[in-house]
Amino acid sequence: MPFLARRTAALVAAVLLASFTVFLIPYVTPGDPVRKIIRSRVAGDVIDDSAVDALSLQLGLNDPLWTQYLRWLGRLGSGDMGLSYTSRTPVADQVLPALWITLSLVVLALGTAVAISVVLGVAAALQEGRPADRVITAVTQAFIALPEYWLAPLFVLVFALQLSLLPSAGWEGPLSAVLPVAVLALRPTSYFTSAVREGVLEALSAEHVAAARSRGLSHLQTVWKHVIPNGLLPLTTLVAVWFAGLLGGSVIVEVIFAIPGMGRLLFDGVLNSDIPLAQGAVVVVVGLAVLLTTAADLVHGILNPQIRMSHA
Amino acid sequence: MRFSLPSSLSLGLVALLSLSGCGFSGSAAGTKQAASTDQRIVVDNFRAPVANWALESDAAYILSLSGCLETLTRYDESQGKIVPSLATEWKQVSPLEWDFTIREGVKFQDGSVLNADAVVGSLRNVLNADVPARAFSPKVVSAVKALDDHTVRVTTPTESPLVPYRLASVNTGVLSPAAFQGETVDPFGHCTGPFKPVSEKPKQSLTLDRNEDYWGGEVQLAGAEIRFITDGATRTAQVQTGEADVSLSIPVSGLAALEGDSNVKVLKADSPRTATLYMNNGKAPFDDVDFRKAVRSALDLDALAASVYEGAAVAASGPFAPSEPWAIEGAEAPKQDLEAAKKLLASAGYSADRPLEIVAIVERAEFADVATVIQDNLKAVGVPVKIQTKEYAAVEPDLLSGNYDMVLSQRNRLIDIADPIGFLTADYTCDGTYNLSHFCNAEYDKKVAQAAKTPDAEERYKLYAEAGQILQDQAVNVWLVNEQAIDAVRTDLQAHVQDPLSRYVLRADTAKSGS
Repeated sequence: MPFLARRTAALVAAVLLASFTVFLIPYVTPGDPVRKIIRSRVAGDVIDDSAVDALSLQLGLNDPLWTQYLRWLGRLGSGDMGLSYTSRTPVADQVLPALWITLSLVVLALGTAVAISVVLGVAAALQEGRPADRVITAVTQAFIALPEYWLAPLFVLVFALQLSLLPSAGWEGPLSAVLPVAVLALRPTSYFTSAVREGVLEALSAEHVAAARSRGLSHLQTVWKHVIPNGLLPLTTLVAVWFAGLLGGSVIVEVIFAIPGMGRLLFDGVLNSDIPLAQGAVVVVVGLAVLLTTAADLVHGILNPQIRMSHA
Repeated sequence: MRFSLPSSLSLGLVALLSLSGCGFSGSAAGTKQAASTDQRIVVDNFRAPVANWALESDAAYILSLSGCLETLTRYDESQGKIVPSLATEWKQVSPLEWDFTIREGVKFQDGSVLNADAVVGSLRNVLNADVPARAFSPKVVSAVKALDDHTVRVTTPTESPLVPYRLASVNTGVLSPAAFQGETVDPFGHCTGPFKPVSEKPKQSLTLDRNEDYWGGEVQLAGAEIRFITDGATRTAQVQTGEADVSLSIPVSGLAALEGDSNVKVLKADSPRTATLYMNNGKAPFDDVDFRKAVRSALDLDALAASVYEGAAVAASGPFAPSEPWAIEGAEAPKQDLEAAKKLLASAGYSADRPLEIVAIVERAEFADVATVIQDNLKAVGVPVKIQTKEYAAVEPDLLSGNYDMVLSQRNRLIDIADPIGFLTADYTCDGTYNLSHFCNAEYDKKVAQAAKTPDAEERYKLYAEAGQILQDQAVNVWLVNEQAIDAVRTDLQAHVQDPLSRYVLRADTAKSGS
C-alpha cells in the first residue's frame, strides 16, 4: 500500500537521521568526548592522557566517524544496540526497562488528560459563550503557560510536604506515580480540551446534526450519537503527537521525580557522551513516534472516509 | 491521613504500574517500627552508579557509603590520620615496598575467607582496569602480591609514604574472588562490610540487609535503602517528609527550610573544596604579582560568602580549609582594601587597555553570580571585566594551554586520597598536569617534592602548609570561599557521623530509635 510504504520509508529515514544526529552530538559540541566519558565514571578534573588513549582505543573512537557509525548501524541491523560506553553493559538492557516505565507514565498521563479534556471540552462547547465556557477556557489556557519545571516542585511542596498525601519522588508504586502523572497531564489536558471544544462546536454546526434533530432526535441523543464522535476526531492525531513527544520529552519530570525512564536515559547518554546509549534511546523513541503517528493516521482514516480516500 | 487515595484510582494505577514491573514498597518508606534493631533507613544519595559496579569508578563511593565495601585502611577524619580496617598493621619494608597484614577472622558476605590472595585479586582488578582510579593506578603502584596467607606487599615505582593513604581510597575496596567471575563486577554478597546488598533497581536504588556475621560488631539496623536522587530539591523534600532518613549534599536553596524543621538536623562540615578565582600567571597583567595581589585586595570575600553562598560557605584564608591538618597556621581570610588595591595596581603599572575576561563554568550555577560580584569589586578599582559563561569541556583546552585571563572553578583537594599531595603537585608544580594557573616556583616545587617523600604525617603536613604559604604570598589565585558539605538527617537517627566526602554513611553502629 502506498500509504504504508511511504510511512515505512519515513520510519527508516527518521531513525537514520535521528541516530546520526545523536551520533554527531559529542563531536560537534565543545570538548573531547573521551574525556566526558571518563568524567562520567570518575569525578574530578585531572585526567591522564594515557587513560584517554587507552579508552579511545578500546572503544574504537580513533576510527573515522563514518566507520564508527556504519559499525553501529550494522549491529543494529542484527538487533544489537551495542554496549554502553560508560557501564559496558548491553544498551538494550537499559533501554527496554526505561521504555516500559516511560510508557506507563505517558499512558497514565495521556489517559488522564483525555478523560478530563473530553468532559471539559464537551461541556465548554455546549455552554459556548456562557460563564462555564469562559472559566474552562481561561483555566486550561493558563495551564498551557505553566512549565513542568515549575509545576513539579509546586506539586511536591503542596501534596508531599504540606499535605503529606503523596510521596515526593521515586517509582516505587502507584502512589509515587500520581504527582508525575499529574504534572505531565496538565499541559496536554489544556490542549486537548481546546481541541475537543473546537471539534464539538464544528460538529454542532454540521448539516447532518441539524438533519438528525429534524428527524426528531433529542438534543442529548444528537450530541451523544453525532456530535461527540465527530468532535473527538482531532483528538486521535493530537494524542499520538503528544504520546510521541512525551516519550523522549518527559526528562524534566523524570529528573525531578527520580524516575528512571527514557527521558533521563537519553539525558544521561548525551551528557556523558555515551553514544550507543543515546543512539539506542533515540532509535526507540523516534521509531515509536513514527509508528504511533502512522497508527493515528490510519485510525483517523478509518473514522473519516475522506482522509482514507485521499491516502488511496 | 498519609498516602490516601480513592481506591478506584489506586486500582487503575496498580494495574498499569504492575505492567511496568515496579514494586509496591513506597508507602512503607519513612514509617516507624517499634524495635530499634528491626529498623531500616533510607539514604538519598546524589549520584547513581554509571559504570555498573566497577570499583575503579565512582560506584565504589556508593558501595562504601552503603556499608558494603571496606578497604585495608581508613582515613579517620576526627583523628586526621589513617587507621586500620581490613589490614591491622602496615610497614614500609624498603623504599619501594609496603607490607600490609590482613585482619584474621574476617569473612566475605558469601562465606569465603578474607586472605591475602583475595585482597591481591581485588586490588589487581582495579590496577588493571582500562581506566584505572587515580588513587591506585600503574603510575603510582607497580605491583601487588601475596607474601603469605595474611601479608600483602604493595610495590611503588618511586618512594612514597602515601601507600597507606592509597589503600584507604574507596576505589581499593576489597571484594571476594567470586565478584570478579563475570564480565562486570558483582558486589552482591561479596563485600565484608556491615551491610549486604541484596537487590538493585537500576538508576533508582540499592537495598541492603544487615550482615549478621560482621567482623566489626553487631549491626544495629536491619537494613537500608540507598536511593539515587540527582535533584537536590527532591533530596531536600524527602528528608523533610520523612521518606528519607539521611539526605546527602543538600543544596543551599534548601537550607533555610531544613533549618526551620524540628524533625531534621542539618549537618555542616568543611569540605575539601574551595571556590577559586584562577588567574593565568603566565599572561599579562597577571604575570605581575602586584597585580594579582591587587585583585585579591579588591575582592570582598565575606560579602561573597554571605550573599551568593547564603552562609553555606566561609571566606577562604588560602588554598586549604582552616580545619584541615595542613592548614596555614594563623591564616585569615583577606579583607577588602580598595586603597591598597589601587596602590598595587599603580605599582604593577596596570592600565585598563582591555577588559579582562572571567570564565564562569556553567556546571556550577552559582559561579555566574560570583563572577558578577567580582566584576563589581574590580570595577571599583578601575579594572574592567567581562564575563563569559561556558561549559567546562569547552574551555578546558584553553585553560590548559594558557589562553585565558581568569576562570572560576573549584577542585576537590582530596579526590584521590586523603592527602593533598596530588592536588598540590598537579595544580601548582612547574610540571603539574593540571596547572591552570601556569605558576612555576622552584622553592614551591622543592617543598612539595620533599613532602612527597616524608613518611611522618605531621612533618609532611607542615611542608604542605609551607607550600600553601608560598601560593598565598605569591597570590597565585584568589581562594574565594571554603564550601561546606551539607547533609540532613532525621532527628531519630542515632550515631550518625557526617563524612564531608560521603564515603562512610551506613556503619555498624548507625541506629534509629523506635516510635
